[in-house]
Amino acid sequence: MTCKGLLLTATTIGLLLGTQTMADTADKKIALSNNYAGNSWRQAMLESWKRVTDKAVADGAVASADAFTTAENQATEQAAQIQNMILQGYDAIVVNAASPTALNGAIKEACDAGITVVSFDGIVTEPCAWRVKVDFVKMGRDEVEYLAKRLPEGGNLLEIRGLAGVSVDDEIHAGIEEGVKANANFKIVGSVNGDWAQDVAQKAVAGILPSLPEIAAVVTQGGDGYGAAQAFAAAGRPTPIIIMGNRQDELKWWGEQRDANQYETMSTSIAPGVSTLAFWVAQQILDGQDVPKELTVPFLSVTQDTLDQALKDTPEGGVTNVDYSQDDAKKVIAGSK
Amino acid sequence: MTMIHKAPWFWAWVAAIAAFCATWSLSAGGAGGTALAVAALTFGSFSVMTGLGQMLVITMGPGNTDLSIPATMTLAATLSLKLMGGMTGSAGLIVLAGLVSALAIGAGVGVANFALIRLLRIPPIIATLSASFLYQSLAIWSNRGLRIKPPQVLADFTTGRALLGIPNLAWVALIISFGFWVLLNQSGFGRRISAIGQNPRAARLAGVPTARVSATTYVICAIMAGLTGFLLACFSGGAALNMGAEFLLMSIAVTVIGGSSIAGGNSNVPGIWAGALFMYLIVSMLNSYGLGAGVRLLSTGIIIIAIVAAASGRKARL
Repeated sequence: MTCKGLLLTATTIGLLLGTQTMADTADKKIALSNNYAGNSWRQAMLESWKRVTDKAVADGAVASADAFTTAENQATEQAAQIQNMILQGYDAIVVNAASPTALNGAIKEACDAGITVVSFDGIVTEPCAWRVKVDFVKMGRDEVEYLAKRLPEGGNLLEIRGLAGVSVDDEIHAGIEEGVKANANFKIVGSVNGDWAQDVAQKAVAGILPSLPEIAAVVTQGGDGYGAAQAFAAAGRPTPIIIMGNRQDELKWWGEQRDANQYETMSTSIAPGVSTLAFWVAQQILDGQDVPKELTVPFLSVTQDTLDQALKDTPEGGVTNVDYSQDDAKKVIAGSK
Repeated sequence: MTMIHKAPWFWAWVAAIAAFCATWSLSAGGAGGTALAVAALTFGSFSVMTGLGQMLVITMGPGNTDLSIPATMTLAATLSLKLMGGMTGSAGLIVLAGLVSALAIGAGVGVANFALIRLLRIPPIIATLSASFLYQSLAIWSNRGLRIKPPQVLADFTTGRALLGIPNLAWVALIISFGFWVLLNQSGFGRRISAIGQNPRAARLAGVPTARVSATTYVICAIMAGLTGFLLACFSGGAALNMGAEFLLMSIAVTVIGGSSIAGGNSNVPGIWAGALFMYLIVSMLNSYGLGAGVRLLSTGIIIIAIVAAASGRKARL
């Protein structure tokens, strides 16, 4: 090769580096350790991961990005899975954890082996790991703030909580309580656990409704709004304002009610695609970027104005989703500094 | 009938009625009684249908429990709704195809479970638990958790109250329960199941075809799970991957609360209804009194222990 040719090649590589800034992580291997796959949200999360990482691998951003899911949603099983990943020589592990604390031992082992660990959704408290967090307390507070705008005179609230004993449930609940404290004309008159599943929510709401006074609004945690609406309809009660959680059946029901009687509400949840944000964060850390340990992702909200678009984009029977890009990750990282 | 208080299901019915009255008393002007009864009958029906199948399996004695009920429900519901969602033509034909496929999937699962237990000699609990991972994975693989809406006629049927204001689902469960009562109390098959549960060796020596009886029982249990999954999916607007989760413990709980012996050999159908209604009403009651999830779980546990103790205490004195 001539001197000129070498120079040209070097320039080309330099240009490529300039546009993609990915070459440093091209030989890196990232693994996803996932604790559960048994609902539509988790399925959407895994699909997002596959879609984004397949492209990232094809583009040469990373060497591989394999997803592994444990069968039983057990912390012990996931700890063993992470230990296997350490032995297999992954450079980074992205983890949706079965427990915020029970995996800390395995996470520490991974860090000590020089592996980058990024937790998201189900985050871990181990200080050496990164946390892609959602401000669930704010999510609860926002629901009540929205209701305060819609119902200035206040009213009775029914709260549908998630799975008892899970930190996300406690956090959203705390946010709702804060919101109610700030807006004293609201009162929570009943509370049930809907386990983020609409048939469970429907069952629980149908059981408590007979003993409740008139309900002005229902505050929820996602996945339970449609079930609540069904329970109100079956009991022959007027439909209150039910906060939705981005499931397609919830949005569809909302759209039908809007067309029939100008029903208005809002819908908010964490996008399953947050797994892809965690992936790009891991890639950025491997790339040598300075990334703070705590990152906050915005939630994905659907309003009266964006309902039609959301309905169009959400697959029949699925969850409203968004795949994050490398630029999104950079923005979130910059915003958290 | 003077001995009614000695029936194994007596205390479960007392508890269910007490829970109903306690919740009812909170409703303004007593108007909520009907709504509560309708809700309890509707949701209780699902527990009854899974509970009946589980009861037969448990009757066969220690070690016999079907842990694949949740996965079977999910698989049958997912596949049958997918089939119906893709069909065009007359509503009757679509419904029939969905129902038959759900029952057939149940039967297939039952045969597979029994094959693992009998041919590979795996203990039933391990066999059904490990097979359930397979069924659950099949359900995930077939539809990735997307909810397919049931045909309108099925949604209307499962949520409707066509006769005497009683939910259609409760009628279905009642008819099936009657069938199980005949099977258990009036047929040779029922006596064989009880005989195996009381002493498998003695039953075999007395000429009971234990393999065939046990196979039939596992198939019936799985068919009931398939049917319940089908109806639950139609009722709640589509199959969900985690739809069966609560029916694993529920089906065992209603059997035990209803006064059937967990050690096998002695079962009854009325108790299943009492257990199912009680399990629904107790949660409604504790919710209505505004108790938190922790207290709720604790009280449920204590009350279940009390009922089972009261029921077995009666038996011991007989």
